[in-house]
Amino acid sequence: MIDIVPPAFIFILGAILIPFLRERRLRQVFQLLIPLIAFIDLLYMHKGTYWVYNFLGYDLILGRVDKLSMVFGYVFVIVAFLGMVYALHVREVGQHVAAFLYIGSTLGVTFAGDIVTLFVFWEIMAVTSVFLIWYQRDKAALDAGFRYIMVHIFGGCALLAGIIIHVSNTGSTQFGFIEYGGLASQLILLGFIINAAVPPFHAWLSDSYPEATVTGSVFLTAFTTKSAVYVLLRTFPGVEILVWLGAIMALYGVVYAVLENDIRRLLAYHIISQVGYMVCGVGLGTEMAMNGATAHAFCHILYKALLFMGASAVIYVTGRRKLTELQGRNLYKKMPICLSLYMIGGFSISAVPLFNGFISKTMVVAATGELHRPIIHLLLHLASIGTFLHTGLKLPYGIWFGRVPEGETIEEEEIEAAEPPLNMLIAMGMTAFLCILTGVYPQILYNILPYPVHYHPYTVNHVIGMMQLLLLTAGAFWLYIDKLGGEPKVSVDTDWFYRKPGILILWFVSNPLQDLRLRLQRFFTKMVATITSLSKNPILLPEITARYFHLKIINRLYQASDTYKDKINEIKELESKLAAAKEMRYDENVYRRPIGLGVLIAIILLFLYGLIYFIRLG
Amino acid sequence: MGRKLKYLFFIGCGLSMLIGLFISHEHVHFWWEKIGVFDALFGFFGCIVIVLGSKALGHHGIQKDEDYYD
Repeated sequence: MIDIVPPAFIFILGAILIPFLRERRLRQVFQLLIPLIAFIDLLYMHKGTYWVYNFLGYDLILGRVDKLSMVFGYVFVIVAFLGMVYALHVREVGQHVAAFLYIGSTLGVTFAGDIVTLFVFWEIMAVTSVFLIWYQRDKAALDAGFRYIMVHIFGGCALLAGIIIHVSNTGSTQFGFIEYGGLASQLILLGFIINAAVPPFHAWLSDSYPEATVTGSVFLTAFTTKSAVYVLLRTFPGVEILVWLGAIMALYGVVYAVLENDIRRLLAYHIISQVGYMVCGVGLGTEMAMNGATAHAFCHILYKALLFMGASAVIYVTGRRKLTELQGRNLYKKMPICLSLYMIGGFSISAVPLFNGFISKTMVVAATGELHRPIIHLLLHLASIGTFLHTGLKLPYGIWFGRVPEGETIEEEEIEAAEPPLNMLIAMGMTAFLCILTGVYPQILYNILPYPVHYHPYTVNHVIGMMQLLLLTAGAFWLYIDKLGGEPKVSVDTDWFYRKPGILILWFVSNPLQDLRLRLQRFFTKMVATITSLSKNPILLPEITARYFHLKIINRLYQASDTYKDKINEIKELESKLAAAKEMRYDENVYRRPIGLGVLIAIILLFLYGLIYFIRLG
Repeated sequence: MGRKLKYLFFIGCGLSMLIGLFISHEHVHFWWEKIGVFDALFGFFGCIVIVLGSKALGHHGIQKDEDYYD
């Protein structure tokens, strides 16, 4: 049997080797080969625990292989390959290195068998992914990247604190089910839900993903939030608060998507919405709900990658990213293939029958029915209306067909638009194929889910119900078609809490605090200067002090009386004497002191030293 | 093209609601699932609620000018 290696190391090693491949074609082949090797590696992995290393008395487990970790492993490697095809034309090597490290660390999280390994890969994930944002290189991207990394560092700290408390309480570093309740589990949960973008900790996602590079954003959509769903599935199944957070999250993303003008930000809000279904599924905690959450993560990674590929391709060829900049250009005539492939993603996320969203989203919704949770059921239902409304209708209409509102004119220049490069289209085509494949043959996916599946998506009830929902949503969209165009506005989200007060903090630091620093510095500088000048001649110290206070007192006294003017000469004389005393240098010919004085001082100091020493000893 | 799509849309709406009325709804979990056209009504009015609700929220506080954070 072939010796297998941790899939994380395949990507990390690949990332290290990429910069050494100077030949462009060779590098491209290599980049595609790495995910393929990783996929073959996955096929050879069997249930069990591998690669256990002892470190500081703890067992670090790099390979815990079971059905749950395998599903996520498969989809992460598949989307890594698709994303690589999409990014193949990018000449900047650094972007590929960052992407590979990011993918590798996500696989590290997926197969981690202990909580320490998990944490290490968790942090590498945050640090490497931020480069996919920074490589965009404009100010907005740099700023958003900094906010992104700050939030993730905060989440990482919460996680670390939770892990430390957990390990010291239980003595076990095992990464598995954690009883919810108590500070340790709450901190760990906080760390996880920050990465899962659960409101109110979601703003990093909609803030930073739209600023990432065209190809980088495809990777970003796949890994961070879904690996968070994976760890939630492992550690916190059946935690009630997640049910509500998930349902609220599903609707929250939809509401913001209505208002959004930036095309990738609109899609980013739909990531939040879709991850809501998964978080809700984790919270419900039944086998069907957990299967649903896992299946939805799998499908979501594929169709969301496709949607981001489509939107990013539009940005790539037109250089514009807002609906208000794209309307009235009739882009559908110039990029019909891109539009068709995007629509497959749009239908998938909207859960149109025969597309993959249908076989996974309905599973989570059905699980709410089984548990008789009417409010959650209706909230999720409502969110799926919003999903179709935006990603299936508003966004493609706005990008490719959008009309200019009456009374407004567009700038005269024509947008140079064409189909995106071939590799982008091929990547989109393959992703679209997988979306339809899993939609038509759900068994492919159902067979690898962690629990046995007793759910049949293609019943008459399900299909007809979904068709009614979607068609009538389209009808309502038609009524409001002119109201739904983008507006040149930004929506305030919970990132307000660190962006606006952030400006205030900056002002506080650069004004009052800086002022205080300068004052303190001036005070101490003055003091040092005084001491320096006095130490030039310590023997005159008593005289200078006496003269100084004499002068001060005289001054005070005369100022109070009305004969001040007459005494001015006297004061001047005192001042010049003081100045002369200060100026006088030490001259050993003038000051002769017996040796005994030096000896006496030495003995006194020795005595003091002894005193302190004995007191401390006592 | 546009006209055909319109007809197709209306036929789809009518057909799906008609079938919905005639299929059995025995193994359902909530009372509203027994109404054959519930999903259609929910889709239509839900969509309107989402659009109007979100726009109202947006125009009363959430939406700011594009240079708000600069």
